[in-house]
Amino acid sequence: MIVRRHRSAALLAAVALTLTLSCKFEPFTPELHYSLNGPVVEKNPDLQGDPGAQAQLAGVLEMLVGTPKDPRFLALKDWDFDPNYWGEDLVKKDENALAALIASNRAAYREQIASIEAGDFENVFQPRFADDLWRWWLALKAEKAGDAAALKEEGVKLFSEYYPSLSNSAAFYRNQCFHCHGTEGGGNGSTSRFLNPRPRDYRPGKFKFTALKGKSRPRHEDVYRVLTEGVYTTAMPSFRRFTDAQLHGLVDYVRLLAIRGETEILLASFYTSDEGLSLESVQENYGDVVAKWRGASKQVIAAEDIPAVTPERLAHGRTLFMTPGEKGGANCVSCHGTSGRGDGASAFEVDPLTKETRRVKDEWGNEISVRDLTRGVFRFGRRPIDLYRRIYAGINGTPMPEHIGMTVTEDGKQHPMTESDIWDLAFFVRTLSVHEATVAAAPSHH
Amino acid sequence: MSTHAHAPAHEAKPLGIDPPGTTHVSHEHHEFGFLRKYIFSTDHKVIGLQFLFTGLVMLLLGGLMAMAIRWQLAYPWTEMPVLGRLLFPATGGVTTPEGYTMLFTMHGTLMIFFVVIPLLTGTFGNYLIPLMLGAPDMAFPRLNMLGYWFWWPGIFCILLSFGAEGGGPAAGWTAYPPLSTIESAAPGSNWGQNWMLISLTFVGVSSMMGAVNYVTTIVKMRAPGMTFFRMPLSIWSLLVAALLQLFALPVLTAATFMQLFDRLFDAGFFTPTGVIINNVSPEAIGQAAGGHPLLWQHLFWFYAHPAVYILVVPSMGFVSDILAVHGRKPIFGYKPMVYSICGIAGLGFIVWGHHMFMSGMNPSVGLVFMTATIMIALPSAVKVFNWLGTLWGARIQVTTPMLFAVSFVAMFIIGGLSGIWMASTPVDIYIHDTYIIVAHFHYVVFAGSMMAIFAAIYHWFPKMFGRAMNETLGKIHFVGTFIALNGVFYMMHQLGLAGLMRRTADPYAYETYAHLQPMNQFISWCAFALLGWQIFFVLNFFGSMVWGKRVGRNPWNACSLEWEAPSPPGHGNFDKPLAVYHGPYEYGVPDAPKDFVPQTQKAVGFQVHA
Amino acid sequence: MSSLKHFLLRAVITLLFLAVPILGVWTFVKAEEWGLWFPPTYSTYGPSIDFLFDVIMWMVAVTFVGTELLLVWFFFRYSKKDATRATYTHGNHTLEMVWTAIPALLLIFVAFSQMKAWSTVKINFPEDGPYTVAKPLMEIYASQFDWRVRYPDAQGNFEGADVIEVPYDITVPADTKVVLRLKSRDVLHSFFVPVFRLKQDAVPGMEIPVWFEATRPGDYDLICAELCGWGHYKMAGKIHVLPKDEFASWLAKQRENLYAKD
Repeated sequence: MIVRRHRSAALLAAVALTLTLSCKFEPFTPELHYSLNGPVVEKNPDLQGDPGAQAQLAGVLEMLVGTPKDPRFLALKDWDFDPNYWGEDLVKKDENALAALIASNRAAYREQIASIEAGDFENVFQPRFADDLWRWWLALKAEKAGDAAALKEEGVKLFSEYYPSLSNSAAFYRNQCFHCHGTEGGGNGSTSRFLNPRPRDYRPGKFKFTALKGKSRPRHEDVYRVLTEGVYTTAMPSFRRFTDAQLHGLVDYVRLLAIRGETEILLASFYTSDEGLSLESVQENYGDVVAKWRGASKQVIAAEDIPAVTPERLAHGRTLFMTPGEKGGANCVSCHGTSGRGDGASAFEVDPLTKETRRVKDEWGNEISVRDLTRGVFRFGRRPIDLYRRIYAGINGTPMPEHIGMTVTEDGKQHPMTESDIWDLAFFVRTLSVHEATVAAAPSHH
Repeated sequence: MSTHAHAPAHEAKPLGIDPPGTTHVSHEHHEFGFLRKYIFSTDHKVIGLQFLFTGLVMLLLGGLMAMAIRWQLAYPWTEMPVLGRLLFPATGGVTTPEGYTMLFTMHGTLMIFFVVIPLLTGTFGNYLIPLMLGAPDMAFPRLNMLGYWFWWPGIFCILLSFGAEGGGPAAGWTAYPPLSTIESAAPGSNWGQNWMLISLTFVGVSSMMGAVNYVTTIVKMRAPGMTFFRMPLSIWSLLVAALLQLFALPVLTAATFMQLFDRLFDAGFFTPTGVIINNVSPEAIGQAAGGHPLLWQHLFWFYAHPAVYILVVPSMGFVSDILAVHGRKPIFGYKPMVYSICGIAGLGFIVWGHHMFMSGMNPSVGLVFMTATIMIALPSAVKVFNWLGTLWGARIQVTTPMLFAVSFVAMFIIGGLSGIWMASTPVDIYIHDTYIIVAHFHYVVFAGSMMAIFAAIYHWFPKMFGRAMNETLGKIHFVGTFIALNGVFYMMHQLGLAGLMRRTADPYAYETYAHLQPMNQFISWCAFALLGWQIFFVLNFFGSMVWGKRVGRNPWNACSLEWEAPSPPGHGNFDKPLAVYHGPYEYGVPDAPKDFVPQTQKAVGFQVHA
Repeated sequence: MSSLKHFLLRAVITLLFLAVPILGVWTFVKAEEWGLWFPPTYSTYGPSIDFLFDVIMWMVAVTFVGTELLLVWFFFRYSKKDATRATYTHGNHTLEMVWTAIPALLLIFVAFSQMKAWSTVKINFPEDGPYTVAKPLMEIYASQFDWRVRYPDAQGNFEGADVIEVPYDITVPADTKVVLRLKSRDVLHSFFVPVFRLKQDAVPGMEIPVWFEATRPGDYDLICAELCGWGHYKMAGKIHVLPKDEFASWLAKQRENLYAKD
């Protein structure tokens, strides 16, 4: 028997094979694709029962933003900018941001850069999560072979000014984000159902934590800030462990998912079987959605000066906070309660179906807890400016309203709330943060 | 008995109690139906084999989970071939983070409670105790059967936990609260955790029934002349393991019940005041608090540390026996071996705190636990030296069981020595919960106990089935397993020294760990090879049942009593009355007609050890 | 089995067993080169822990190599096909006493030699420095899956609006005995800084003091070392050790930044 004769040879071969395989083996990357937004499709009877129409919608979306493996924006003719380089444009124009990006890259790729500077090009090893950088480096190395000086210079520049491509960010998203946020950014990844609150669904284009007026789409900085700070007391951690470039790239990809999702919602709701999807309507809706994102930075709530905290201001803030809406106050007390613990009457509502008392819901349909202001936990940040902006603009998608211009009655006179009133409220809210977050939660009112 | 004076052989008289029926052969001939004979059998041998087969199936299950874990560590967040689509259909075969926590939790739980403990005590405890003592069956055959069948609800519940909302338990096999007790803390802390706790209770009851049986049988049903110090070391080690179970299991049962009460009735034993987990405050939703998470750790480790010795002590006994039989030489230092087993077991009850050096337990108490823990190396060292003493001057037969037994010694040295680092509190600050710990306990439980289990299977297979296993396949199995297991576990020491933490799904995003991926890939491939290589065992095991060489009663020329029975033994075990005249390790006796003197043979014309 | 085949079998198995101590020692020798050894240590007590590791390592190494070589030799020597019987002995009392007493003494020595280092790290907290257990530099607050560090406000309070709270990045002064208070919001976590040789579980309901003195400015990984849920692997942090004088200005800057306009 062959096996008997060459037993030891077979043994050695098996060991050798194991070692070789472990060195050469490349794992598979699963092929993902964007799925359609189920509930939105179901709402439109013309789409719901028509696989052809759905395929058309999916095809249009793919034309606009590509696939998870190869995402890219379709740039329309009349646009004076290319959305594919959106974040890169913003960051590289801003001196501070660019300096931070370079510093972060230099720290992350210091060994590669050191090898390049030493002229030791063969010892540059592949960085993790930066396949495109590696490809570009290999291409550069091939192109500049024989010209060590140029390779040195351009190699260092390549690594230190690295800004990831969209497809690389998509792969990074798949690595770090998609468990919770899902392939399409629908907040429906495999882990999402265990989280409280649920992860953000990017598709409606609503983002809670921005520094902007109205219900604008967030700025690049706003999303970036959420990535670096995390959203405290949720499962969204701080992602500062990754480089600046990687995080900026993620913001770009989140923007792509949001634009894709909102375009999808618009196209799906306007779709009729008579007209199908016309090129004009696709262009128009896509253009509108992108325009909303482009316009964001004009909406920033700027603070000219932070006023000094005085007892009068605090007292005024307290009055605004404590006075219910029907008596002309800012009505904070109705949700946040007289002690600020988030246990006001309006924090709960009666479910129309089950007739049970439950917590209020946000626009994504999830039950939410009204912030307990005594714990010093503010998800958008705890600086005065953060609270000011929050009260100024409210929280998108939740019952927390926009306060600027809200009508209040004081000394028998009605007037719209001013910036100064909002500062007073913000300062007062800050004084509530006396308890540690470990203090037991107050029993909820059921 | 502490001296080594050789008593004249003719004075060796049968000693000990003589319960009715012990020495008499069961003459009534029972005709049982298939169900009574093979399924609901009260025969200790059938029950032992039932444990064996069930345990091997669970071993495969636990092994596949290990492969899934290794895949994630080698190639994080990529599509896992074969298993991936089965385990994680929602993500196209990519491990999910909560799935990873479930995998290592279940791997640990299955391997400890459903593989190693049942294989060691369930299989060999059942099979060997009556045979080696010369008894027709266990003291309580029906309880014995019940012990096996109480294991099944345990298996059922643990398998059920996979299907629970949120998946199987995911708080580690140690199930530390509050992660395990508060539903919002982890996906697996839903009904998955309840099923696991219920399952452990069933397994505990099953083990308890076994332990009561083993102790009673060993104390009351020894053949005439079989004094305690004439028992084979396998029996001693099984006795000690059973005692460990008797003393430790009630604590685990109490602890699992407390955790169940926390989970089901909001008892709050382990829930401290003021926690907010996943934005749920247990107090706000009406659960009690005021407990302490460390309470669980104390209770759990008070059981689980002795349990670690339940995992290894019986294998020490088997290895001692196999070394003597296949080395054709008396065991070196029989009594020191017995005392050191007892020493390990005794010390095992006062070292649980070494799992908690970093837990926030009073650091001064840590010093006491450290000293006790370091001292446990002493009986272990004595055992190793005695095994070496046994090999010295032996006539080693290069058989498969012997290879596995010798490799147990070689591997146990590694597992034991690395334990000293862990015992040292200051060193433990750095290495606590790193891969060096993973390496350590796998060297003890896989390279140690599993190798001993393989040795025992190869050694007692002829008795179980009347046929020998194939030696060539056995040696192939040994060589591959030995190489692969060292490839898997040895380099884990170095990963641990580099600081790599266990239970980390994607360690390479840390700067400290970024360079460790190639080594993890090597380890993973060795692990895949290790599992794949077991095909030789499976082929040999099942093939030999049918085609193996038929053997007589005593194919290894061994002295202990099980070899006096027919292979396989019939109902009632022995077909002739037995009396024991001396110890079980009379190999190479000068002037004896053969190089071994069975325990039932009076030494006439030559001298044996008393 | 022919005697040649038997010899080959013995030789193969012997080599297999022999490979264990040889490769085992070799990997430890090569470990540093492969990056599979301790990271450097930058705390004052780090070297003493490494020293104790080395002390035990040398004892263990000698025992390991010695016992494995004996095992290999015995296996090879006594697996010879031999017509004679094995040495008939049931043990040796003196030998047992020797190999019980010597390890016992060694182990007692090992146990007692560990105590000082342990009490330095975990029992005797600094009382002479600027930070003490009663007045720590900061609170580290662990929660699923974030490390938050809190510096007190200018009045030294750890509560209130002007407390500085930062996720992920923990900034400390070098060459200063830093005491911190470790807390957990939800489940068990563990504060592990490999380069400091420091690890301590964070337990909900407990406030556990931890101290270290960093000897070298730089950025070091903080790792969660106790399973804390599905996101355990992503619970990372960074320790930034600043030169002493830079730290004061850094802290002042943070207090200023609290009132930044953007």
